[in-house]
Amino acid sequence: MEGSSYKILIADDNLSDRMILTAIVKKMGHVVLSASDGLEAISQFTEEKPDIILLDVMMPNMNGQEAAIEIKRIAGEDMVPIIFLTSLQDASDLAKCLESGGDDFLSKPYNPIILTAKINAFSRMLSMHNILQQQKNVISKNAEHLLNEQQVAKAVYDNVAHSGCLDLPNLKYLLSPFSVFNGDVLLAARRPTGSVHILLGDFTGHGLPAAIGAMPLAEIFYGMTAKGFLMEDILREINSKLKTILPIGYFCCACMANLSFRKKTIEVWMGGLPDYYVLKKDQNEIEHIASTHLPLGVLSSQAFDATTQNIAFDVGDKFYMWSDGIIESRNDDGDLFGEGRLKDIFYSNSNRDYLFDEIVEKVNDFTGESGKDDDTTMLEVSMVEESELEQVDIDLSGGAIHGPTDWKMEYTLRADTLKSFNPLPVMLNILNDVPSLRRLSGQLYTLMSELFSNAFEHGVLGLSSDLKSTTEGFAKYYQLRSERMNVIGNHSVCFIFDHIPLESGGRLTIKVIDTGKGFDYEAIQNANFETNAYCGRGIPLIKSMSESLKYSGNGNTVEVVLNWQADEAE
Amino acid sequence: MTTLNITQVQELKEMMEDAFDDLVAIYIQDSEEKLKLLKQEVKNYDDQAICMLAHSLKGSSLNICAEDLALIFKQIEDSSRIKDLSSMETLRLQAMSEFENVKVALESVHTL
Repeated sequence: MEGSSYKILIADDNLSDRMILTAIVKKMGHVVLSASDGLEAISQFTEEKPDIILLDVMMPNMNGQEAAIEIKRIAGEDMVPIIFLTSLQDASDLAKCLESGGDDFLSKPYNPIILTAKINAFSRMLSMHNILQQQKNVISKNAEHLLNEQQVAKAVYDNVAHSGCLDLPNLKYLLSPFSVFNGDVLLAARRPTGSVHILLGDFTGHGLPAAIGAMPLAEIFYGMTAKGFLMEDILREINSKLKTILPIGYFCCACMANLSFRKKTIEVWMGGLPDYYVLKKDQNEIEHIASTHLPLGVLSSQAFDATTQNIAFDVGDKFYMWSDGIIESRNDDGDLFGEGRLKDIFYSNSNRDYLFDEIVEKVNDFTGESGKDDDTTMLEVSMVEESELEQVDIDLSGGAIHGPTDWKMEYTLRADTLKSFNPLPVMLNILNDVPSLRRLSGQLYTLMSELFSNAFEHGVLGLSSDLKSTTEGFAKYYQLRSERMNVIGNHSVCFIFDHIPLESGGRLTIKVIDTGKGFDYEAIQNANFETNAYCGRGIPLIKSMSESLKYSGNGNTVEVVLNWQADEAE
Repeated sequence: MTTLNITQVQELKEMMEDAFDDLVAIYIQDSEEKLKLLKQEVKNYDDQAICMLAHSLKGSSLNICAEDLALIFKQIEDSSRIKDLSSMETLRLQAMSEFENVKVALESVHTL
C-alpha cells in the first residue's frame, strides 16, 4: 500500500548506482538494505526478509539471475517481487531474467518516477497478497471450525434421525449420502401393536437445510409411532410441523407406510414421489402405486388430506420405495437412468431374492464415476410372518426408574370427541409413565383398543358385532357406523384407570363405562366364548390378556384387572 | 554530442540533495579504478573481463547522465561480447578522453 513502509533490498555491484537507487527508495519512505553481489543478496534476503528486491543482472561472484532463482526457492509461497536492474537490451537476455523468477525490469539510467511507480505497484500487489493470505488463513480456520460443527451436528442428527428398525430381516435398504447430510430420510419403527411404520422422505435440496427439516420429522415419527398413534395422526403432525418451519418452496416428498403383519396389508400414503412398485408373490406384472398427495409441508392443516391406500400384502409380496434419485441418476453422457431401465431390471429378474441388489448394481454401473447427482435412497419391504421378527423392543432407557405407581385417573370422552378423536395414544402415554407398563404397551394398546371399540361401537352406537360375520354385513356395519355417528347425541365413554403398587409389581384396573343401552353379557359369554375376537366383542382376547374381566350394570360397564410383576433385571 | 544531459543531471542533483557530491566523487573514483583495470585487460585480450568492466562503466555512466561516454562503453561491451577486440585500444582512448570531459562537466554542475 502506498504510504506503508517496506524493506527493500538493493543488490548492485556498482556503488554509485546503489547510491542513486538508495536515494530514490529512501525518499519514498522505505527501509533500504544493500548488497554488492548475488551471494550477499541471498544472505541479506535470508536474514532480513526484505519485501521487494532490486537486483542487478551482471554482478561478480553470483549474477542476478542465479541469485533470483535461489531467492524464489527460499521464499516458497511467500511473494517476493524481484525487479531486475539492467541495461541489457537483448530480448533473450531479458527473457532469461523473467525465467529466473524476475517480476519486472528497470533500465538505466534510473528514472525516479518510473521506479517509484513500480515499487508502488508491487507494494499494492504485496498488500493484496497479504490480505489474501490472511483471508486464506481465516477461511481455512472457518472451514475447519465449520467441519467440526458439522461433525457434531451430524452426530446429533444421526441420533435423532437414526434408522430405527431398518435392520429388520424383511427390509433391505440403500442410503447414499451426497454430502455430510443427506436430503433423504429413511425411518422405520415398530408400533406397539407390532406392525412397522416406514417413512421415506426426500427434502428439497441437500445438506444442512434438508437435515434441519429431517430432525423434527424423525422426532415426530419415532415419538408418535412408539406411543401408538396412527399413520394419519403422524402425517398430520409432520405436515403441520414442516409447514410451519420450512420456508416457502421447501417441502418433503414422502411416502409413509404401515406394514401390518396380522392383517397382511400395507397401508400407503404418498406425496410427490415417483411411482412405487408392488410385486405380488406369484405374478410377474408390476403393480404401480402412485402419489396421490402433495408433498409434506405444502398444505395447511385444514387442506391436508391423510387418506391412505390399503393394499393386500401377503407373505412373499414385495414393495419397492425410492427417492427420485434412482430414476434421475445420470451417466457420464448426462442421460437419465429413467423408469424404462428400472422396469427392465424387474422384468429380466429371475430370482427375487437378488432383485434389490441387481437394482443397486445396475444403477451404480450406469452412473459410473460421474454419479451421485442426487441422493439415492431405496427400500425393499417384504411381507413375512410376524413370528420371523423379534418382539417389539420397547425403549426403557428414558424416564424415571420408578414412575408413578399409586394413582387414579378418569377420562371421559363426550360426543364431539368420540366422533373425531382417537384417545388411545393419549391414554397409553400416561400408562407408559409406569416404567414396567411400558414393556406391556403392545398388550395394553390391544386391550384398550378392544375396550374402546366395544364401548363406542357396540355400546354407544349400538352396532351388533353379529353383523360382521358376513362380507355384506361388514359393509352394512360400517354404513350404520357412519350414520349413527351423526346422531350421537349426549353419549359419552368414560375410562377410569386405577393403579396401585403391589409388593413385587403393581395392579392396573381399567373400568370403562358407556352411556349405551348395554347388552346381555351373560348370554354372549355363554354362547360365544370360544369364537373369534371380531364377533365376540373381543372378550376372549381381553380375557386372555388380563387377570380378570367383569361386566356389570346392564352390560355397559366393564372392569379389567391387570397384574404385573417387577422384572428381576430392572 | 552530449557529454552530460543537463536536464537529467539537474533532476539527479535535486533528488540526491547533499549526497550528490559524494555520488560524483564515488563515480569518478570508481570509474578511474575500472578504467585502469580496463587498460590492463585490453592488453591481456581478456574479452570476458573487458565485457564485464565495460558493462558496469556503461551503467554507471548512464546513471550519472554521461550519455556519450556510456555510448563508447557500450561499443566496447558489444565488440568484446562478440570477441572482436580489433578496435579496443582506440575505443579505450576515446573513453579516457571523454571521461575527462565528463569530470569537467560534473564539476560545473557542482558549482551551479
